[in-house]
Amino acid sequence: MIEILSKKLEWLDVQYWFYVLNDLSLIYIIVPFFVLELIRYAFKKRLTKDLVFDSIANIITFGAFFVIEIILGLLAITKVYFWIYNNFSLPHLELNWVTIISCIFLADFAYYWEHRMMHRIGIGWATHTVHHSSEHFNMSVAYRFGPLDAIMPIIFSLPIVMLGFDPILVLLAEVFVQVFQTLLHTEIIGKLIKPLEFIFNTPSHHRVHHGSNKQYWDKNYAGIFIIWDRMLGTFEPEVETVRYGISEPLNSNNPLKVFFHGINRLIKKINSVDGFKNKLLVFVKPPNWMPTTSKK
Amino acid sequence: MKNSTLLFRSLAIIIFLAGSAHLIRLGRNYTTDQSNYDGVNNYNKTTNSTIDKGVNEGFTENNSNTKKKNDYNENSDYIIGKWIVNYKSDEFNGSLVYRVKKEGEIFNAYTLEYRDKNGNSQKAEGNKVLTIKNFDGYKGVGIYRIEYEGQEYNVDCAIDMVDKNTFKLSYEYYGYRDIETWKRQ
Repeated sequence: MIEILSKKLEWLDVQYWFYVLNDLSLIYIIVPFFVLELIRYAFKKRLTKDLVFDSIANIITFGAFFVIEIILGLLAITKVYFWIYNNFSLPHLELNWVTIISCIFLADFAYYWEHRMMHRIGIGWATHTVHHSSEHFNMSVAYRFGPLDAIMPIIFSLPIVMLGFDPILVLLAEVFVQVFQTLLHTEIIGKLIKPLEFIFNTPSHHRVHHGSNKQYWDKNYAGIFIIWDRMLGTFEPEVETVRYGISEPLNSNNPLKVFFHGINRLIKKINSVDGFKNKLLVFVKPPNWMPTTSKK
Repeated sequence: MKNSTLLFRSLAIIIFLAGSAHLIRLGRNYTTDQSNYDGVNNYNKTTNSTIDKGVNEGFTENNSNTKKKNDYNENSDYIIGKWIVNYKSDEFNGSLVYRVKKEGEIFNAYTLEYRDKNGNSQKAEGNKVLTIKNFDGYKGVGIYRIEYEGQEYNVDCAIDMVDKNTFKLSYEYYGYRDIETWKRQ
């Protein structure tokens, strides 16, 4: 077994399998599933104008995010990641199954912390609130991104590169986590069997994460494995029917408003607090933090 | 949950995951070293005369000082010397002469001379292009520095002796593979 897991793999083969799992998943699972969701909405008489415009806004925000991601991603991978990898990393790990599996687990764990930070610090929530602002829950919501959503993953995956994992493998593992996450954005699938619900993040767990019900706030940050939430005290099962959205609803499907509303709200909050120190603290304190003295 | 608990649990998870991958790496290195060691013994038995000849020829070039040293390894140090590699690409069509030196326990190769296809030669900058970290006399592994579009990359490489005067240097970089033939000068 160890012999198989530690057998050296060819980059071409690994890239091919990630290509099938990451890139092609859009064609063979995500789009067909979204079509199925639309049919279900129509059947249940929930295919409203609001839902259609919401879905269009989601795809447009993804386009804007993708441009930023590509620029940042290329810079990070070709420059920072390789510089760190060549100068400040543990001995480089050979490409084998153990390395790939460990890398996916680590990328998923990094995703957990990165996601938690997106919820728990002001600047993180300013961008990530875009993703949560939809009052619907379907595959298109998975593509609803904020303008700075690409930054946190880069910061949180650098330690993985420092641990000796190849930067390209880290990137592929991160995309794999994102693709898995995408598949969780659905109301079609109910609860799965208990062992799966215990180990993996499932649509049920992720519905909770998108809930605006008070008990569901800041819960279930996981990407692939829900065990991180269970181990780090942020797990919440789906009990009460989930109400999607954020505590201060956006009430707009204008893609520009959707994309920038978090940043706008952050700027307004910065302007509303007194003192330079407090203005800086708005960036790093939790989103609901307010200093004891403020203008409003 | 307390911050300290979060920290310790997170560190434990990271150490466990990254540690597993590194343990496997160390285990594999150990196994490879063992099999190389066995291989060297077998190889020495069967090709003793070839290696001896190689040692003598390669060694003669760097001879007088090193010969006296006690740390000379008969099995592997015959790689020391000048080697030539032919290249044919859009960027460079000709050959490059390298000098392999032993520095401590490892071997390093430095650029020595460029030669174009017409036989014109030019002294090279003496850059270190290859580090052979592990060489048992017939197989080795190391780091090869390649340049692509102005960017320098350190790539894992393998060395296979074909005979006393030729070895193959192979590497793979994200799907791009190449094998260079190094001939003794």
